[in-house]
Amino acid sequence: MEDRYKILIIDDEEVVLDACTQILEGGHYEMATAMDGAHGLGLIPEFRPDLVFVDLKMPGLSGFEVLEKIRDVDPTIVAIVITGYATVNSAVDSMKKGAFDFLPKPFTPDELRLITRRGLEKRRLVLETIALRREKEMLREHFAAIVSHELKSPLNAVQQSLFALGVELSGQLTAEQRNRLERCQSRVDDLLQLIHTWLRVISRDIGKLRENFRPVSVPAAIAKAIESVQPHALRKDVALQASAEEPLSPVLGDEGTLVEALVNLIGNAVKYSRVGSQVLVKAEEREASVLISVADTGVGIAKEDLPFIFEDFYRGQSGGVETGSGLGLALTRRIVEAHQGAMAVESEPGQGSTFVIRLPAFKPLILESDALAESQTGGIR
Amino acid sequence: MSARKRLLIIDDDPDFVEGIQAILKAANYEVEAAYNPKEGFQALQTKHYDLLLLDIMMGRGAEGVMLARKMRKDPKLREMPVLIITGIREQIAFLFPGEPVHPRFVAVDELVEKPVEPKLLLERVSALLQAAAARKARTEAGSTRT
Repeated sequence: MEDRYKILIIDDEEVVLDACTQILEGGHYEMATAMDGAHGLGLIPEFRPDLVFVDLKMPGLSGFEVLEKIRDVDPTIVAIVITGYATVNSAVDSMKKGAFDFLPKPFTPDELRLITRRGLEKRRLVLETIALRREKEMLREHFAAIVSHELKSPLNAVQQSLFALGVELSGQLTAEQRNRLERCQSRVDDLLQLIHTWLRVISRDIGKLRENFRPVSVPAAIAKAIESVQPHALRKDVALQASAEEPLSPVLGDEGTLVEALVNLIGNAVKYSRVGSQVLVKAEEREASVLISVADTGVGIAKEDLPFIFEDFYRGQSGGVETGSGLGLALTRRIVEAHQGAMAVESEPGQGSTFVIRLPAFKPLILESDALAESQTGGIR
Repeated sequence: MSARKRLLIIDDDPDFVEGIQAILKAANYEVEAAYNPKEGFQALQTKHYDLLLLDIMMGRGAEGVMLARKMRKDPKLREMPVLIITGIREQIAFLFPGEPVHPRFVAVDELVEKPVEPKLLLERVSALLQAAAARKARTEAGSTRT
């Protein structure tokens, strides 16, 4: 990307064109000039400028018309208006037509250089934003397909073979061997479930989660999550402590994914805890929200990492030995947001981190009594 | 009661096919495999099978769907029971936006998800075979009456 920036100047005064060209010449730009709007617009498809200076008052097409046409052709081109009658009105008008800035005549060489630099910086940012957005879209769009095929296919094949082995060896295995085979199957199944969840959450139709929303007991969800993380915690000698305020409203949601979100947070807390320390999981109700906090006294998160930890594939720069996919927290955030909730984190390097999930409390007597009734009769799948 | 049923499985993952085949063979079915839609369709046209197990996502996309559509247009293959075995549920939104469930690809199909537990697999296979036999008996009874 060593291409030089291209600048087009459209002005009916030759003096202005020459002056601008001379002033900007040392700046390693590629320059083009046009004496009127029609000619200038004609140059754009071929020359593909990054920045265009347009005189507002010209014979033929006016500067405003030129601005509008430029925006039609390529809205990412940065346009700056030059004019002799520097009034607030014409400045505002040209901004409305999409101009980035405004340069009143007469101007000094430094003013021109400065505004050029700023215009090109804007252009660079615009292009970069577009590229990043496209990349993000691609990643998201391909993710579902890639995950399902590249990750699931081998797991499906493994699981199917384990199933087949179970059939073929039935009656020949000792209890221990049978148990081991079943554990293999259950671990592969966990992994497949995890991939399913990722797909559900990462693909665009998070709304699908909402189809299965029903009141969920927060302490029960916490208990399930703790049960799932417990083996890992035991191995690391980290104590998991849960407490819940009483009474506590339920939340409206999908229990499976809420447990998943909690497993992520509690699992992370254990992962980044020191051997022999404690992780506290607390549920309480404040105003119309249920707050679930997960606090550890582990390594903490560096300040420069904090703003990014909920983003896809982000992994701390200062993380040290622990590794991960960089998806756990992003996934957790998506799950929480799908539940109309929000997440927050406080952390001090060396002191530990506290993650808080805030979910709207479900008040069945005031609203949505139907959903509760349904949950009591037991949902039919 | 009768001769062993002949099944064909079309799936591009040989390891997965192996797992399915072992379960079906243990249940006394005769099973052949094809590893791409083209080869599969050829086998369908040249040999006789009682049931097809079909993977939907093969090659560059839903090539299995194309095969199912082709079968539907073929007078000889139209009546063959098809059990779709696929990991498609996750991709369905991506393939058929707005479809809550999978479209009925062929008239007699049934869908199970990968990986499929032996018990479920055998249940579905035998149910489809029975339904096909019953349908056949009905048509034959109908044609003798006229």
